Amino acid sequence: MAQRKKKIIIVGGGLAGLSAAMKICESDQAEVTLVAYQSLKRSHSVCAQGGINAAIDSKGEGDSPDNHFYDTIKGGDFLAEQPLVRDMCYKAPAIIHLMDRMGVAFNRTPEGHLAFRRFGGTLYSRTAFSGATTGQQLVYSLDEQIRKYEHDGLVQKMVWHEYLGAVLDSKGVCRGAIIHDLRTNEIFTLAGDAVILATGGPSQVYAGSTASTVNTGAAATMAYMQGAKYANGEFIQIHPTAIPGRDKLRLMSESARGEGGRIWVPKREGDTRDPLKIPEMERYYFLEEKYPLFGNLVPRDVASREIYDVVYNQNLGIGGQSMVYLDLTHKSKEFLQDRLGGILDIYKKFTGDDPKLTPMKIFPAVHYSMGGLWTDYETDSAGMIEPKSPRNQMTSIQGLYAAGEADCHYHGANRLGANSLLSCIYTGLMMGPGVLSYAAQVSKSTEDVPSSVFDDAKSYWTGRFKSISQLNGRENPYKLHRDLGEMMMANVLIVRDNKTLEKAFNSISDFETRFKDVKCVDSNDWANPTPSFINQLYCMIQLSKIITKGALMRDEFRGAHYKPEFDLKQPSDFDPHEYIHYQEQKNFGEVKDDAFPKSHLDYMKRFEANNNKWLKTSIAQFEDNQPNITYADVNTSLMIPRPRKYD
Amino acid sequence: MSQKTIKLKIKRQDNPRSKPYWQEFEIPYQPLSNVISCLQDIQKSPATANELGVNPVIWDCSCLEEVCGSCTMIINGRVRQACTALVDQIESPIVLEPMSKFPVVRDLMVDRNRMFRALKKVKAWVDIDGSQDLGEGPIMADSVRATRYTLSECMTCGCCLEACPQYTKDNSFLGAAAFSQVRLFNLHPTGAMHADERLEEVMGKGGIADCGNAQACVEACPKNIPLTDSIADISRQTSLKLLKDLLLK
Amino acid sequence: MAKITQDQAHFLLLKINSLMGLIPIGVFLAFHLGINALRTVGPLQYQLSIDLINNLPFLFGIEIAFIYAPLLFHSMMGFYIYFSGKRNVGHYGYPRNWRYTLQRITGLIVFAFLIYHLGTTVAPKIFYGKHQFLAAPFLMDIMNAEFQTWSGRIIYLIGISSATFHFANGLWGFCVSWGIIIGQNAQRNASIVFAMVGLVLTFLGFATVLEFSLNPIPVTPTVGE
Repeated sequence: MAQRKKKIIIVGGGLAGLSAAMKICESDQAEVTLVAYQSLKRSHSVCAQGGINAAIDSKGEGDSPDNHFYDTIKGGDFLAEQPLVRDMCYKAPAIIHLMDRMGVAFNRTPEGHLAFRRFGGTLYSRTAFSGATTGQQLVYSLDEQIRKYEHDGLVQKMVWHEYLGAVLDSKGVCRGAIIHDLRTNEIFTLAGDAVILATGGPSQVYAGSTASTVNTGAAATMAYMQGAKYANGEFIQIHPTAIPGRDKLRLMSESARGEGGRIWVPKREGDTRDPLKIPEMERYYFLEEKYPLFGNLVPRDVASREIYDVVYNQNLGIGGQSMVYLDLTHKSKEFLQDRLGGILDIYKKFTGDDPKLTPMKIFPAVHYSMGGLWTDYETDSAGMIEPKSPRNQMTSIQGLYAAGEADCHYHGANRLGANSLLSCIYTGLMMGPGVLSYAAQVSKSTEDVPSSVFDDAKSYWTGRFKSISQLNGRENPYKLHRDLGEMMMANVLIVRDNKTLEKAFNSISDFETRFKDVKCVDSNDWANPTPSFINQLYCMIQLSKIITKGALMRDEFRGAHYKPEFDLKQPSDFDPHEYIHYQEQKNFGEVKDDAFPKSHLDYMKRFEANNNKWLKTSIAQFEDNQPNITYADVNTSLMIPRPRKYD
Repeated sequence: MSQKTIKLKIKRQDNPRSKPYWQEFEIPYQPLSNVISCLQDIQKSPATANELGVNPVIWDCSCLEEVCGSCTMIINGRVRQACTALVDQIESPIVLEPMSKFPVVRDLMVDRNRMFRALKKVKAWVDIDGSQDLGEGPIMADSVRATRYTLSECMTCGCCLEACPQYTKDNSFLGAAAFSQVRLFNLHPTGAMHADERLEEVMGKGGIADCGNAQACVEACPKNIPLTDSIADISRQTSLKLLKDLLLK
Repeated sequence: MAKITQDQAHFLLLKINSLMGLIPIGVFLAFHLGINALRTVGPLQYQLSIDLINNLPFLFGIEIAFIYAPLLFHSMMGFYIYFSGKRNVGHYGYPRNWRYTLQRITGLIVFAFLIYHLGTTVAPKIFYGKHQFLAAPFLMDIMNAEFQTWSGRIIYLIGISSATFHFANGLWGFCVSWGIIIGQNAQRNASIVFAMVGLVLTFLGFATVLEFSLNPIPVTPTVGE
C-alpha cells in the first residue's frame, strides 16, 4: 500500500511559518495547509528593518559563529537555551546563503559579495541587510518559494482564516486545528498529523508598541489555555528608538545607529532651541559617554533604560517631553539614502520632518517578546541538536509545535537586534524534519481518531462564538483593549517595582469583570471581525496576567526585566573575566580572599547567589484561570553565565 | 466651546452582494491623527453624525507603517495607504471608499486575490534546488542588487492597478505589479535561467501588450517603484523573444 | 510551423497593430501631409504630385495593401483597445494618463474623420470613374469647395490635428511597447522629439488648409482629354 502523505497544518504566514512550510514541502512527504489571518506578504515579519545576523566574517574582523553564540547568550543575560542558540548561530551563515540563493536583494560589496553592517550588542559587522526592509525582503522570498509549491500543488493556502485552538484527543494529543473563516464566519476543524504555531508575538497587549495590529498573541495563549507551557512571558523587549504616533509607534531601526546614528539630548533642562542650533558642547551624548566601547550600539535593554533614565530621572527629554534625539545629520545625504532610505522616508512620511536635515525625535516602545510557548528539543551524545528529533520545537502538547516569536528559547532575557529574523527562519527550517518524523510515527493516524473529537471541538467553538456575538453589555471591546494596553504601559514596562506590579496584577481582575460586560458592537454576519477580536481580547487579558505575574515574581534584574531594587550594583571597575577566574578557582578548591578586590568578590558572590536562584526559565501554566508559575533550569552547559558589561 | 473635529464620509457595503451606501462620522480632533486612528476611534464608539450604534467600519490593516500594503483604500478620490494619510495633511471632510478594481468584501475591505494569482501566473520566484546548504549564492553587482531591491519593495497593495485605466474589474489584464516582478526575477542570475517561462506568461491575453502606457501606475505607487521602466523593459524582452521565436526557431 | 495559440495570436496582433501605426499608416500620413503641403508652393506642383500618385502602376493594389487594409485593421484593433480599458483622468489627471486618454479619443475622431474624408474624396472619385490624370482636377475642385465653408475647415483642422497627435503619441507608444526606449529620461526625451514631429506634421496640414481656404484656384487636367 502506498504510504499516505502526512498532513501538516501551519498557522502563520510570517518567516517562521513560511520556512517551516518550505522545509516540509521540499521533503514531498506531507501535504501542507497554511492557515493565515491575512494574505501572505502582510505578516508582521515585514516590519523588521535592519537585518539578519550571521557570522560570515566577510570583513576579516575575526568573527565566528562562536562569537555570535557568545554575543547572543550574553545579550540575553544567559537565560537562553545554549544548545539551541549554538546550533542557530552555527547554521546562520548557511541560512543567509540560502536566502541569497532565493533571490533576497541583500546589499553587496564592490566585489559582489554580501555586505554586512554593525548592529547592537556586538563589536563585529555581522548583519546582512537588504536596504532598510530586510524582514520584508525575507518574507517575500520565502513567500515566493511557497507560491511555487502552491503552483505545484503541495501547499494549500487558507488566508483570512483564524486559528482558534488545537483539537485534542482523549489523551491530550493534538489531532488538528479549529479554524475560523473570517469572511463567512464559519467554524470548522482541520485534521492534521501535526500543527505548527508560527503566530508571532503578543505586543498588542501593550498600547504603545511597534507591533502590527494582528500581533495579539491569541493563538499562543489559546495553546496555553489548552495546557501548553508558556515560558519567560515577563521578558518583553522595549525597543529604544520608535517614532511617536497615535495608532502605533513606528519602529526606527537599530540600523540607524548601526550606520552611525547618535543619540543625544540637550544638556540644559527644557532647552527648546532648534536642535541644529545647539552647539556640540551643549549636547549630552549619554550612551557614548557611559558606554565608550559599544557607544550607541549597546543592547536594546540597556539603551531603553538609559533613555528612560535621561528623560524621567534627569528630566532632560527634548523640550521637557518624553523624547530624545537620534541624529544622522552628520552623514552625507547620499550615504543615508543608499543605506537607510526606506526607514528615513517612513520617518518623513509620518512626521513631516526630513531626518537627513534634522535630528529625529524618538522614544522607546514595546517591540518583542523574548518569551513564548515553551518548546522541547533533543541533543545527541555530543550535545548537538538532533536534527530529526520529533521533540524539536514541540510544545508541551504532543503534536503541537511552535516557532518564531511564538517560542521562547533563543533570546533569553533580551534579544539582540537582527537575531529575530534569524531565529524565525532557523526554527522554521530546523523543526521541519522533526515534525515529519513525528507525523510518521504518530501512534494513530488522524483517520483513526474518533470523529467525536472533532465534532466536540467544533460545537464548543461554534457555541462560544455564538454567545460572543450575542454579548450586549456596556463595554466597547476596542476601548477595553486600549485601556488594558495603557495599564500595561504604565505598570509593566522598562522599570518595574513590586508594589506597582502587584497593583497591576490585581487590576487585571477588574478588566476581567469589565470583559464580562462587553458588547459585541458589530451585528453583521459576514466578515465581522468583532467576535474574533473579543475572543482575542480575552486571550490578551490572560497574557497580561502571565506577563505581570511573571514580572512580579521574578525578584531580580535580568536583561529586559529591570527591577532597580534588585540591581546587584556591579562595581564600575569590574571586569567580567574576573568572574571566570573566580569560577575556576572555585572549581580547583577555594577562592583566596585576596585574589580579588573585596567589593568585586562581594559582587561576584551576590551574582552567583542570584543566578542560583533566578537563572531559570519561568514556566506559566493555566490553572483555575490563573497562571501558575514555576521555574525550570536553563541549559548553560556551553558557556559559564557571567556578569554583562558593555563599557 | 466648539471642539475641533474630524469629519469623515465613508462608503460602506455590508457584503459583496449588497448595495453600497454612505455614512458620515465626526470624531474629536487629536494631534498626530491619521486615517487609521480615525477608523480606530470610530471602532471605539461607533456612531454616525446622526445615528447611534452603527456597526464599526471594517477595513484591512496590519503593519501601519506602509510595508504590508493592507490598508490601501481610496482617500479623497485617490488611492493610497490609510496609515500614511495624516489628517493634518489631507482635505476635510475625509472621503473614504474601497478600491474599485477589486471585489469588496465589506466596507473598505477588498479581496486582492487576483494580484496573488497574477504572481503565481508569472512564476514570480527563483527556482532553487532546495534548502540544503549549497554554499554561497551567485555573485551580483550592487547596482543590479539596487535595481532588484527597488522592484522587490512591491507590497502587492494594488495602487498601481487601481490607478490604471487599462485594469478593469472584468478584464484579465495582469497589470504593472506583475510585470515588474517578471523583471525582478529575470534580473537575478538564477532567476534568469527561467526568464523565457516568465515572458511566455505575459505574452498572452491580459499580458504586457495590453498595456496602454498611461503610466498612472508609476505616479500612484507609494514605494516609487519604477514600474514604467519595468514595463518598457519587459516589452523589450518580450519583443526580442517574439523576434527570436519567429526568426530563429 | 507550430500552431499558434490564442494567447500568442493576441500578443502578435497587438504588436503588429502597434507597428502598423508606424508602418505603413504613419509613414503614409507623413507622406500624405507632406505632398499636400506642396499646395502652398503652388497649384501646379501640387497637381503634378497627385498626378504622379494617380498614375502609379498597380495603384489599386498598393492602396489596398498599404493603406486601406492596414487602416481597417488598425481601426478594428483600436476599437478593441478602446473598450478594453476605462479612462480615469478625472481622478488621476497625470500628463501621461491624459495622453493615454487623448490617444483613444483621437483614434475615434480620426476614424470618424476618415469616413468623412474618404466619403467626400475617394468615394466620388470611384463613383464618377475619375482616374489617372482626371483625378487631380476632380479632387482639387472638391477640396476648393470644402474649404470655402467654415464647417469644412473646422472638420479638417480637427481631423488633421487628431491624426498628427495620434501618430506622434503613438510613435512614442510604439517605442515603449516594443522596448526601444526604457528609462524614464529616455522616455521623456523621446516625448519631446516625437512632439516636434507631431508639430511639424500639424503645421504642414494646417498650412495646406490655409492655402486652400485663402487661394482656391481652379485647375485643369495637365493632359488634355
